[in-house]
Amino acid sequence: MWFSSLTLVIAGKSIAISNWEELMNPIIQRELIGLLRTRRAFAAQVVLTAVLAVLVVLRWPESGRANISGEQAQAVLRLFGYGLLASLVLLAPIFPASAVVREKQQRTLELLLNSPLTPWSIFVGKLVASVGFVILLMCLSVPAAAACYAMGGVGVPQLMHVYAILLLVAIEYSVVALYVSTVSQSAEGALRYTYGAVLFLTIIPLIPQWFVQGQVSPVLAEMVGTFSCLSPAPAMMELLGHKSVGAQGVMGPSSEMFRYVVWALLVIAVFVPLTVMKLNYRLFDRSHAAGKITDDRSMGVKFYRRIMYLWFFDPQRRSKLIGPLTNPVMVKDFRSQKFGRPHWMMRFFGICLVVSLGLMLATTVFTIAWNVEILGGIIVILQMSVVVLLSPALAAGAISSERESGGWTLLKMTPLSAFTIVTGKLMSAARTLVLLLLATLPAYVVLVLIDETQVARLLDVLITVVLTSIMGVMISAAISSLFQRTTGATATCYTVLVGLCGGTLLFWLGRGSPFSRAAVEAVLRFNPLATALSLIRTPGFDDYQLVPFNWYLMGGLIALAAVVLWIQTWRLTRPQ
Amino acid sequence: MSDVVVETRELTKSYGSFVALERLNISVQRGHILGFIGPNGAGKTTTIKILVGLSRPTSGSASVAGVDCVADARKVKRLVGYMPDVFGSYDNMRVREYLDFFGAAYKIPRKERVKRIEVVMEVTGSGYMRDRFVDSLSHGMKQRVGIARTLLHDPPVLILDEPANGLDPTARVEMRQILLRLAQSGKTLIVTSHILPELSRICDTVAIITKGQLRAFGPLEQIMRGIRQRRSIEIQLLMGKDMAKCESLAKKAFDAADEITHAEEESTLRVRTAASDEALSAFLSQLVGQGVKVTQFREVHQDLEDAFLEVTKHDEGGSGDRMSSAAVVR
Repeated sequence: MWFSSLTLVIAGKSIAISNWEELMNPIIQRELIGLLRTRRAFAAQVVLTAVLAVLVVLRWPESGRANISGEQAQAVLRLFGYGLLASLVLLAPIFPASAVVREKQQRTLELLLNSPLTPWSIFVGKLVASVGFVILLMCLSVPAAAACYAMGGVGVPQLMHVYAILLLVAIEYSVVALYVSTVSQSAEGALRYTYGAVLFLTIIPLIPQWFVQGQVSPVLAEMVGTFSCLSPAPAMMELLGHKSVGAQGVMGPSSEMFRYVVWALLVIAVFVPLTVMKLNYRLFDRSHAAGKITDDRSMGVKFYRRIMYLWFFDPQRRSKLIGPLTNPVMVKDFRSQKFGRPHWMMRFFGICLVVSLGLMLATTVFTIAWNVEILGGIIVILQMSVVVLLSPALAAGAISSERESGGWTLLKMTPLSAFTIVTGKLMSAARTLVLLLLATLPAYVVLVLIDETQVARLLDVLITVVLTSIMGVMISAAISSLFQRTTGATATCYTVLVGLCGGTLLFWLGRGSPFSRAAVEAVLRFNPLATALSLIRTPGFDDYQLVPFNWYLMGGLIALAAVVLWIQTWRLTRPQ
Repeated sequence: MSDVVVETRELTKSYGSFVALERLNISVQRGHILGFIGPNGAGKTTTIKILVGLSRPTSGSASVAGVDCVADARKVKRLVGYMPDVFGSYDNMRVREYLDFFGAAYKIPRKERVKRIEVVMEVTGSGYMRDRFVDSLSHGMKQRVGIARTLLHDPPVLILDEPANGLDPTARVEMRQILLRLAQSGKTLIVTSHILPELSRICDTVAIITKGQLRAFGPLEQIMRGIRQRRSIEIQLLMGKDMAKCESLAKKAFDAADEITHAEEESTLRVRTAASDEALSAFLSQLVGQGVKVTQFREVHQDLEDAFLEVTKHDEGGSGDRMSSAAVVR
C-alpha cells in the first residue's frame, strides 16, 4: 500500500513509519476505549447531542415547509456550525490536556518509553485517540447536519467544508494540548495552560481586528486581518455566509478559510515535532529542588537575592510563623500554590500594571483615533481574561486537591471548622484576584481624567468586574467541592466560565442573522463580559441593555455556589 | 484512676448489609503500644477512623482518655495525633512551614509553636530537613515529618497507620526507635502494620482482626504463649523415599486435629501439634526404630507472623472460629 513505508522528517530527524501496524499502535486502542468508558466522555456525547438537537428544533420552520431560497436552512446551519465549533473548542482540549501528564504522574509513561514504542508512536496514539473521540462527537452531529440538508438550500460541499474545518480545529487544539500536557508537571496545571492557549488561539486574535478595523492603514489592517484568521471563527463565519468577525461595516481579509488552514497547519507543524522531541527520558531526568534558604547564604548572595526579589518577596527567605489572627488555611494555600508565593504575585501584579500603564499611554496618545469606549473595552477584556483564566486556576482545586492528596483527612483532624477552611480557601483565591485587578485600575483613572462624565459608567463596569471575580471564584470553589479529582473540577470550571463569557458571544457574532436583536440581548444578559462591554459602550455592544439582569443573575449564581460549597464542605468535614 | 487510655466497647460499624466491624472490644493502657494487625479490608482503618472521630459507629462506643469519640469528636481531635497511611503533603511548602501550618490549625500560640516545632523535630530527628520542601523528601523523611506533625499538639494518644510501610531497613530501625522513645515518654500508641516481625519488636499488646471480628487480643507474650500450645516440629529426612513411611507413622502418633504437611522436594515433614515433649521423644524413637534416617528433628521458632497466620487461617473457610480462649485476654 502507498502508506506501507512512510518516512517523516521531524526536526531534522528521519522518523520511519515502517508499516500500518506502527500507526495503529496499542495506545490508540487503549486510550480511545479508556476514554469512551469514562463518565466525562459519556456526558460530553449526551450534552452535545442534546444541545445540537435543541438548536435545530429552535430554528426549525414552524410551518413545516421549507423556504425555497434556502434562507431558513442556512440560518439553521449557522446555528449548528457555531454551536458545534463552540462545543469543540471547549471539549476537544480536555482529554489530550491530561493524556501525557497523567501517564507521567502514574509513572506509566516510563513503561511506555521503555517499551519498543517510539515517541512518535506514543504521540500518534494519543493524538488519534483524542481526535477519534472528537470525530465520534462530530458523527453524533450528523443527524443535525442532515436536517439542514433536508431543508434544502444547503449543499453537501458546504457541509463537508464545515466538517473539514471542525476536524482541523480538533487536530490543532489536540496537538497544542498534547504539547502542554507533555511539558506540564500536573494535570490541573496542564488544563489551565491548555485553556489559556485555547483562549489565545480562539478569542485573542479577533480582538485587534475588532478594535482597529477601518481606523488604521491598509497594511496594518491586512496584518491584523491575517492575525485574526489564527482563530477558527472567521473561517467558520465565511463558510456560513457571515463576513469578518466584529467587522464594523468594513470588509475583512479575503478567504479567511484558506488563511485559517495555513495557520492551523503551521501550528500543527510547530507543535508536533516539539512534542515528539520532548517525549523522552529527559522528562524524568530532573531533580526536585530541595530548597535553599537565602538567610543561610553569604552576604553577597543575600544582597543579590534581596535586590532581585525587591527585598520582601524573596521566595527563599525563611518565612515567619502564621499570625494569631490569620486564617492558617489561607496562608497555607498561598505558600503551597506555585503562583501564590509573593514573588509570583508581584510578577503578575507588575505585568498587569505595565499593561495598564501602556493603556494609559494609549489613552493619551490615541484618544482621537481610539475613543475612550474602545480603550475601555480593551481594559475590560484584559480584566475579564484575567478573571476567567485565574479563577479556576486559583479555586478549582480548593477542596478537590486536598481530597486528592490526602490533606483533607489531616484538615479534618484539626480543630478547624468547615467555615474556617472554606473562608481560608476563598480568601487565598480572592486576594490574588483582587491584587491583579487593582493593578489594572490606573487605566480607569486616566479614562476618568479624560472624560469626567464616565465616572458612573466606569463604576458600573467595576461592579460587573468585581461581581464576575466573586462569581468565578465561588463557582470554581463550589465545583471543586463536588469533585474528587482536580483535573475534572478544573475542566468543568473552565467549561462553565469560558462557556458563559465566550460561548454566549457566538450568538452575538450571529446578530442580525440568524439571531434577532432581542434573541442576542436575551443570551448576552447571561454574559458578564458582554455586560461590562455594553456598560462601557464598546462598539457592537452599546445598544444592549444587560444591566441589572446580569447583576441579579451573578448575585444568584454566587448565592447558589455559596450554598453548594457550604453544604458540601460541611458534609465532607463531618464524620462518615 | 483507671490507666486505660483507649477503649472500645461492642464497637460495630455497618455499611448497609456489609458489617465492617463487629462488636470490637479492646483497651490500651497508658504508655503501651498496641499492634493492630489484620489483612487488607479487615476493619483496622474503620476502627481507627472511629477512634479519631472521622467516622461514626453503627453501635457501641469508643473513648480516648475518657472522652467519647462520637459525642465529643472535636475534643478527641486534641487528644489524638493521627498519621494516616497517605502523607498528605503540599507542594512548594517547606517542612517548617508545614509544621507551622498544622501548629496554627491546632491553635498553638506563636511562641509556644516555635518551641513545639523544635521539640517535635528533635524527637523525630527531622531537624536537618526544616528548610527542605516537603514534596522533595524521601518516603522515610516524610514518615518522620508525619510523626512530627502528630506530636505538635502533644496528644496523649498517637494512632499511626502503617508507619513502617515502604521504609528501607535503616529507616525502619530508626522508626522503631522513635516509637519506643515516644512510648517511654508516656504516649499511648496504636500502630497498624503488615510488617509483623517489626511490630513484634515494639508492641506490648496485640489485637488481631479479620473480617471485622477480633480474633485475638492481649499482651504479646500471652498471644505467643497461646500459639505455642501448638508448636511446629520439623523433621528432615536423609532420603525422600522415607517420606511416606514417616508420614504414616506421624499420623498414627499424633492427634487427628494436628496438622501434618510435607515438602517432598526438601524431604521435610512438618507437624503442628500440642503433643508433649515425651510424646515427641517417643515419636522420634519410633522413626529411628523403623529405620527412617532422620537428619534433623527440631522445633521451629514461632513469631508474630505465625501467630497471625494461626489466628486467621480459619477465615479462609469462612468459619469465623475464634482463637483458643487462652490467647484472648479480656
